[in-house]
Amino acid sequence: MMPILQVGPVAIPLPAILILLGIWLGISLAERHAHHYTTDPDQLFNMALIALVSGVIAARLTYVARFPSAFSQNPLDIFSRNLGLFDPIGGLVFGTIIATIYAQRKGMRLWPTLDALTPAFAVLALAYGFAHLASGEAFGAATSLPWGVEWWNARRHPSQIYEIFGAALILFIFLPGRRNIAPSGVYFLYFVCLTSGLRLFLEAFRGDSPITIWGLRVPQIVAWVLLAAGLWLAAKRAGSHSSIPGTSSQEN
Amino acid sequence: MLKLDRKKWVAVFILLVGLTWIWLSRVPPGTITASKPEQPRQGFSAPRFALATTRGDVIALEDLRGKAVIINLWTSWCPPCRAEMPALQNVYELYKEDGLEILAVNSTIQDTPDAAQAFAEEYGLSFPILLDMDGAVSELYQLKSLPTTYFVDQQGDIREVVLGGPMAEALLLVRVQQLLGVQP
Repeated sequence: MMPILQVGPVAIPLPAILILLGIWLGISLAERHAHHYTTDPDQLFNMALIALVSGVIAARLTYVARFPSAFSQNPLDIFSRNLGLFDPIGGLVFGTIIATIYAQRKGMRLWPTLDALTPAFAVLALAYGFAHLASGEAFGAATSLPWGVEWWNARRHPSQIYEIFGAALILFIFLPGRRNIAPSGVYFLYFVCLTSGLRLFLEAFRGDSPITIWGLRVPQIVAWVLLAAGLWLAAKRAGSHSSIPGTSSQEN
Repeated sequence: MLKLDRKKWVAVFILLVGLTWIWLSRVPPGTITASKPEQPRQGFSAPRFALATTRGDVIALEDLRGKAVIINLWTSWCPPCRAEMPALQNVYELYKEDGLEILAVNSTIQDTPDAAQAFAEEYGLSFPILLDMDGAVSELYQLKSLPTTYFVDQQGDIREVVLGGPMAEALLLVRVQQLLGVQP
């Protein structure tokens, strides 16, 4: 665990750096292989960059909007480097909206674009696992299994290692060019299904899951819903494709 | 058509297995309310300690149960520690009456009591300055970066850990309002 990388007098938050590295590597990989999915690499890169920048700005502005009085007393704190002053959900929502507007204006098609972005999502999921390992978050539940690790005063499942292995396996499966699943969109939807299934399975070994009624783990419920939606949409995409004679693998 | 139907059945089977796994891996009710172990991280109970202040009083964290507590580990020579102290003082003045306590634990093993005292006077700090002479609390809280701040709720559980600094006053205000459950 290394939440802070101390370089001289500068304390660098290692988990945030790992996430940024994952975004950069993921976008680079997606851009390089965008042509496999009949997507323009430059448009894909620009869309990802616009989504990222607008997402970061929106995350801060959403936070300011949620707690206006804290910032009215300290308006310059809007530009603070504190990571705790961001609203990730707000950033995600607005970043996605801005990216969608850009994609529509450029005439980018939804499913091929999502297929082209799938390797980026897979790399990001792997980076997320490493970020958890660095920060110590998403730690495991107590266990007596021989591969348990001493962590926070107990022998625990190495849940971050499980997460990294699972994400690496999914990345291997979804490396660009390894699969050519027809029709467009199914590649992305299979990724959603596999990632949701992995989360549903691995969440059981975590020691810090948010809990709801009857002791059910919230992330598992969310993952199950995503898995169901992914399976349904994938079946629908595959069904609509098979009902049209002569459709090629890259048609939308 | 037969192939599609088989796929649907496979999907239904996967979803049923998922539901079963969710139920089997639920957290047993008894363990949710069990007392949390003491560890210096979010979601755990804040490790107990007692330290002498620069004025010679001894303050124990356990005695502050029922109050929202900010534990700030700092030294007088650390620039971000110096930068965030005025914000801590402002927030303390605003919310002291609502039940906020700030324990500024000087990592004296890397500093000196005189420097800590001079720093407190220079910045007009009115919250207690605790001296961690032998570094025991710094070790107990696994200090990795200066400053490090722990937000502890009224039950003695750590709600958030902020590594490094300086913390913006807006961040402090929001976290303290959330801890105290007060409207801004």
